[in-house]
Amino acid sequence: MDNISLLLQGFATAVQPEYLLFAFIGVLVGTAVGVLPGIGPAMTVALLLPLTYSLPPTAAIITFAGIYYGGMYGGSTTSILLNTPGESASVITAIEGNKMAKLGRGAAALATAAIGSFVAGTIATALLTLFAPVIAGFAVNLAPADFVALIVVAFITVGALLGSSVSRGIASLGIGLLIGLVGTEQTTGQARYTMGMLALSDGISVVLVAVALFAVGEALYVAARLRSGPIPIIPVTRGWRSWMSREDWRRSWKPWLRGTAIGFPIGTIPAGGADVATFLSYATEKRFSRHKKQFGRGAIEGVAGPEAANNAAAAGVLVPLLTLGLPTTATAAIIITAFQSYGIQPGPQLFQSQGDLVWALIASLYIGNVLLLVLNLPLAGIWVKLLQIPRPYLYAGILTFAALGAYAVRFSTIDVLILLIVGALGYVMRRFGYPVAPLIVGLILGPMGEQQLRKALQLSQGSMGDLVLHPFAATCYAVLIVLVAAGLWLKRRQNRYERALEASLAATTSPAAAVDRLWDEGERPSEVSTDTIRTEEATRMARAAQRDRHDER
Amino acid sequence: MTTDITPTSGAASPPRRWSGDRIGELVFAALVFGLGLYALIGAFAIRTPAGAQVGPRVFPFLVSALLIGAGVALIFGVLRGRLGQREEGEDIDSSARTDWWTITKLVLLFVGVVLLLDVLGWWLTAALLFGGAALSLGAKKWWIALTAGLVLGIATQILFGEGLGLFLPRGWAFDAWYGPGPLF
Repeated sequence: MDNISLLLQGFATAVQPEYLLFAFIGVLVGTAVGVLPGIGPAMTVALLLPLTYSLPPTAAIITFAGIYYGGMYGGSTTSILLNTPGESASVITAIEGNKMAKLGRGAAALATAAIGSFVAGTIATALLTLFAPVIAGFAVNLAPADFVALIVVAFITVGALLGSSVSRGIASLGIGLLIGLVGTEQTTGQARYTMGMLALSDGISVVLVAVALFAVGEALYVAARLRSGPIPIIPVTRGWRSWMSREDWRRSWKPWLRGTAIGFPIGTIPAGGADVATFLSYATEKRFSRHKKQFGRGAIEGVAGPEAANNAAAAGVLVPLLTLGLPTTATAAIIITAFQSYGIQPGPQLFQSQGDLVWALIASLYIGNVLLLVLNLPLAGIWVKLLQIPRPYLYAGILTFAALGAYAVRFSTIDVLILLIVGALGYVMRRFGYPVAPLIVGLILGPMGEQQLRKALQLSQGSMGDLVLHPFAATCYAVLIVLVAAGLWLKRRQNRYERALEASLAATTSPAAAVDRLWDEGERPSEVSTDTIRTEEATRMARAAQRDRHDER
Repeated sequence: MTTDITPTSGAASPPRRWSGDRIGELVFAALVFGLGLYALIGAFAIRTPAGAQVGPRVFPFLVSALLIGAGVALIFGVLRGRLGQREEGEDIDSSARTDWWTITKLVLLFVGVVLLLDVLGWWLTAALLFGGAALSLGAKKWWIALTAGLVLGIATQILFGEGLGLFLPRGWAFDAWYGPGPLF
């Protein structure tokens, strides 16, 4: 097997102390930012990009891979331990882990998430190792028209599926494409949409837009409605020696494997990202579980499956990224920018032209997974401390690093101004429910799409028919229709499912829900005290009990 | 202890009244449409060199069509009462009102960075940005915020500016005292 020896060579590179250190830094930073609310891997890589130009590309890419995987691990810690009512329930994975932590089984939830992520990450990386070279080998022979088809598929699916509504996603995509058009056009040297400004003639840097949208937009959005008061963290009670009982293991291993099987394929196709994968895994586990009643109250399968699916999908995303140069999530788009900033274009040729780097990257993914497992279980205490950072300082730090990153793109203060303007756009988009991921994907894929479109039309001498009639391209468009239809159907099911789940959860916790249950519509008092609810509930229960006794006689 | 409870009716019916959110959404939808128009008009302004099979206008036309289409769909959607779902997050209090004063302060801080970065140098600007932002966001003690900012500013200046070789300005005052040479 040729690939095995290439992979071993990659390991030989990746285990050099220098690169091991970068992988270590990557997973550490990645987990830290994954734990911190308000920061994701996309934003971290975007922020670090301009700051790491002086590193050799292999070191930087290995670091970014660590951040990517680490971010996934860290996120689960936050959702399990941070007890913020309402919001975290919108992420389906958070529900079970959070409930488990409240029952004093936080350690088991963290452990099944971490080990599940490791299992899924490793299996999915192995699948990536197997499939990526094959797909790349196939993709080398694709014509420009086929690439146009692939890019259209990515545009439409990302635009239509990564957000709450299709029109909002497409609008976001369009804005990204428009920003991508600003600047001097590559082949003809014509200025487009520069408004005569010199600062815009080089175009607007992708990194700048990403930092603005993810860091500044998010910080402004949170700042506008910052939750005040102490940070409600659920304490982890049990020691780390006894995190998972034999029973927990028995109930976890199948969900891990099923989650991987669901997550990896969904990650490889542009169908809405890890979100859909976690939802599908959750629904599957609920169906297969012998403890159905526990779901919604802290079932370990509901943590193990979705966490595995999430990580497997993250590895799956790397398949189209490395073999076709197609980003299907915001983070993938930023990683493509990272490659580009070192003069490397991900795509079919990558495995040949940059074989050493790619195999070192894949090897470092295996290593990163092991590092994460070793690091995360013992370090959970530190991550809990990190969660307690006072929010004013956290968001002040995010803004400061955003300014630094923006300035470091070209060492010009105009970029800091653009940062603020695009950040304001990010704020408004979040406020009105526009997804930001399609914007980033459009911004990065737009120029690539235009190049391929021109090449294709030049080859076909201007005939549009050839764009669609190429066999591979035609297949792509057919698949696109299926993907969008299936994706939208799944999303609707997911929404309904989540709403039902949230409603049933809220019914047991919130006073509003209690009022809804106790009084009929129209009779509901507009202001009640919890005491009123309690006495009302008690009298009704007493009355019901009386009636029961009555019936028995 | 009294809890405010907004009476919730079973299904989410489309809002009939013109709340601030709905007007804002309409404005943004119109902005998307406007961007599409701008892209269309701007596309005509792009010069096409003779002989090019596919000129630099083709793609802009497609993008403007996309934006105009999405804009029209959005405007009709908002008019019919279909509003977006606000993004949620761990640190967001969904019942709170938008705090415009904090946002104004943060925006002003950024404008300050644009104006002062070259004059004061990165480390001092970062200290002011961090301290100012932390105080705007509700940090209790001003001297902790400013000290933390100063530590962060100097640390990033040394790590990225001197260590990784980024050109971060040290400020007029520092340059006048120390000169342009390397720090270490």
